[in-house]
Amino acid sequence: MAFTLRSVKVPPNSVSLEEARHRTFDFFRAACRSIPSVMEIYNLHDVTTVSQLRSTIASEIRKNAHITNPKVIDMLLFKGMEELNNITEHAKQRHHIIGQYVVGNQGLVQDFGTKDQGISNFLKNFYNSNYF
Amino acid sequence: MGLGLLASRTLRTTTILSKSPRIFASQDPSNALRSIVSTPELQNPEAAAAAQPNPTPDLPPRTPVAGARVHLPNPDDAIEVFVDGYPVKIPKGMTVLQACEVAGVDIPRFCYHSRLSIAGNCRMCLVEVEKSPKPVASCAMPALPGMKIKTDTPVAKKAREGVMEFLLMNHPLDCPICDQGGECDLQDQSMAFGSDRGRFTEMKRSVVDKNLGPLVKTVMTRCIQCTRCVRFATEVAGVQDLGMLGRGSGEEIGTYVEKLMTSELSGNVIDICPVGALTSKPFAFKARNWELKGTESIDVTDAVGSNIRIDSRGPEVMRILPRLNEDINEEWISDKTRFCYDGLKRQRLNDPMIRGPDGRFKTVSWRDALAVVAEIAHQVKPEEIVGIAGQLSDAESMMALKDFLNKMGSNNVWCEGNDMHPCADLRSGYLLNSSIGGLEKADVFLLVGTQPRVEAAMVNARIRKTVRATHAKVGYIGPATDFNYDHQHLGTGPQTLLEIAEGRHPFCSALLNAKNPAIIVGAGLFERKDKDAIFYAVETIAKLGKVVRSDWNGLNVLLRNAAQAAALDLGLVPESGKNIESAKFLYLMGADDVNLDKLPDDAFVVYQGHHGDRSVYRANVIFPASAFSEKEGTYENTEGCTQQTLPAVPTVGDARDDWKIIRALSEVAGMQLPYDTPGAIRSRIKTVAPNLLHMDERDPATFSASLKPDFCQKMSLTAFGTTVENFYMTDPITRASKIMAQCSALLLKK
Ligand code: SF4
Ligand code: FES
Repeated sequence: MAFTLRSVKVPPNSVSLEEARHRTFDFFRAACRSIPSVMEIYNLHDVTTVSQLRSTIASEIRKNAHITNPKVIDMLLFKGMEELNNITEHAKQRHHIIGQYVVGNQGLVQDFGTKDQGISNFLKNFYNSNYF
Repeated sequence: MGLGLLASRTLRTTTILSKSPRIFASQDPSNALRSIVSTPELQNPEAAAAAQPNPTPDLPPRTPVAGARVHLPNPDDAIEVFVDGYPVKIPKGMTVLQACEVAGVDIPRFCYHSRLSIAGNCRMCLVEVEKSPKPVASCAMPALPGMKIKTDTPVAKKAREGVMEFLLMNHPLDCPICDQGGECDLQDQSMAFGSDRGRFTEMKRSVVDKNLGPLVKTVMTRCIQCTRCVRFATEVAGVQDLGMLGRGSGEEIGTYVEKLMTSELSGNVIDICPVGALTSKPFAFKARNWELKGTESIDVTDAVGSNIRIDSRGPEVMRILPRLNEDINEEWISDKTRFCYDGLKRQRLNDPMIRGPDGRFKTVSWRDALAVVAEIAHQVKPEEIVGIAGQLSDAESMMALKDFLNKMGSNNVWCEGNDMHPCADLRSGYLLNSSIGGLEKADVFLLVGTQPRVEAAMVNARIRKTVRATHAKVGYIGPATDFNYDHQHLGTGPQTLLEIAEGRHPFCSALLNAKNPAIIVGAGLFERKDKDAIFYAVETIAKLGKVVRSDWNGLNVLLRNAAQAAALDLGLVPESGKNIESAKFLYLMGADDVNLDKLPDDAFVVYQGHHGDRSVYRANVIFPASAFSEKEGTYENTEGCTQQTLPAVPTVGDARDDWKIIRALSEVAGMQLPYDTPGAIRSRIKTVAPNLLHMDERDPATFSASLKPDFCQKMSLTAFGTTVENFYMTDPITRASKIMAQCSALLLKK
């Protein structure tokens, strides 16, 4: 079952934005359909729920909502497809999934302490990294 | 061969007639004569040349190679030559190769180098000149009026092909394991001009490798005897270490006796060697040049500010190469600049740390480290706060440090090397006023207490160039030291200086007769107690010898550190001499060469820097900062030219840029500095020293000698000291470098 989602070859480019949009929804559906088995493979039942994962996928897709170039959308879809394949093929490990889709980029420890109140943006960024 | 000629001619005619040479050739396999020349018309150059149509009269204008420009000082001396039918005007005395460059034709070459003398021994630059019986070596042939030069005729092409074949006869086929691969002149030119097959079936010769020291790796079998390295060593570096031994196929490059190459410029032979015979030893087998990312930056190991390119792969600096800048370093850099990069990987500080009660450092978060420092800074009296910027600091962080300390109520902030130098008001009092390039105009040098060879190797190379070209006289006052050009050792201390100032010294006549005399004073003298008296004496000499005129300013100070000039521009000078003794809170921004012996034991020391160097042993808190290869920073070199480093690699660990740390600390301490971006901090700098914003420009000092008060301080007669003890280890980066440690162990004369 692992390789069922893999497209045999790269599909032709979408001719219009409409088609690209359509493909995006197809991709979303395919991803949603695979969520239950992903939860099974990676044993995610105790850390997340199907609906949480679904909304994570949706928000990952919405991150690119501003893109209107069908070629770029195709490329992003391709990457998404690749990622989905890797996940369903069990090419990843549990902590990858948890790190990327359950916990998110912010990390587990989130410092919303009172310490940071009233400090400038500069200092907030400074505590995070050198590059801002 | 006659048959071959005939065959090829038939082939040519049929080509024209039938337009299907392939079919023709395949029909007649007896025509497949194996010949070395890849283009058929080359087999009979004369006939093919005759068959060529006359060059079309109106040619489009061409752009000279590499932006070469001709400067015609005297229009009468200009001559006109024709390169491939295209007329160019050039000054008399230019060579054919230079004329071709002006006309936009790049001639292949191996031995010719524009900054070295002409050897004419590789013959790669052969071109055809009308009416000359043979092709001529264009690099050695002066252009004559009306000369008709042809650079892409069959004769020239065949000549190049022949030369290439001879060169490759003895050149090993080891490109896959050669470090020059990908940036090799021989590789490139044999692709462009060489033949596509070889006829050589005998054994290749092999040559024993020479040991040139810890920096230059030799694979002498690859050498093509262009003698560039020999000429570089004798002409530019000024050491007679390399030479050519033997003749014919026994010819070898080497040191005559078993000896290392002891020059501070030796790394440059790596760049000028057109093949892989001389390569970098530390870089050997580390990376291929096409996988490196180049970042154009500035060197900070001395005050010259040589232009460099930092080649990095991922987060690692792989090598440092020079960049062309005619005004500063031409196209050379010193060995310290080139090989200090491995110091960027060792001894790095990567986390904020606080020294616990047991004397050990504990890693803490930035939040905690800043809070601790801010609290302590408020517990001491403002006068007891002292800040010292290190010799590698950039202008932005020094500005932030000064602003922060001023806000805390202290003005005890200075930069290493400037701790006794209060006269930052006149820029001309601390800059190399005649500019590094301008030193070439000088005809007499007086070096006072400075050893340019170790303090600023590129300035020394300029002086040497001038001495070689014009036989300028050099007088030197200071302890006995090594020079690589003719000089007179006038004395060791202020006594001699006084004699010259009073006109009693024989060197005075040279100074008085000189057209453009240059006095270079070492910044090491800033550290003497009687520096005012010494500078007064120097100024007297300057007046005596008319060193400062409206058209020539020869009164120079040679600074030692990359940060020094910018620090003086920004006014980072101590208020009084006794600051460290009374300090309770000492902020060291990368300052490792300050003497902390007199510091009270209960003083709190904050060390902000990138290397765990000397000062760390005394520090109570460590802030990790980024090194010059990791940040964007403004530096001013000793002649007053502002330049910028660019980040080539990411910072190490949890380190931050210097100015950001101070900005963050200021906020935690409740004295927030009003800038959040590099742009904002630069507009702050603009209000103090606008010249630090004019990137890549030299802002000369406006000189007004009369402004200076006359000092009548007593001069002590102790001799001048050496400023730089070990050329290879002068700052935290070079002290952490293994290559530099090897160099100082092997190359320094004991
Ligand atoms: S070692 Fe390099 S620079 Fe020196 S002669 Fe040989 S090829 Fe030329
Ligand atoms: S470049 Fe002219 S002979 Fe070598």
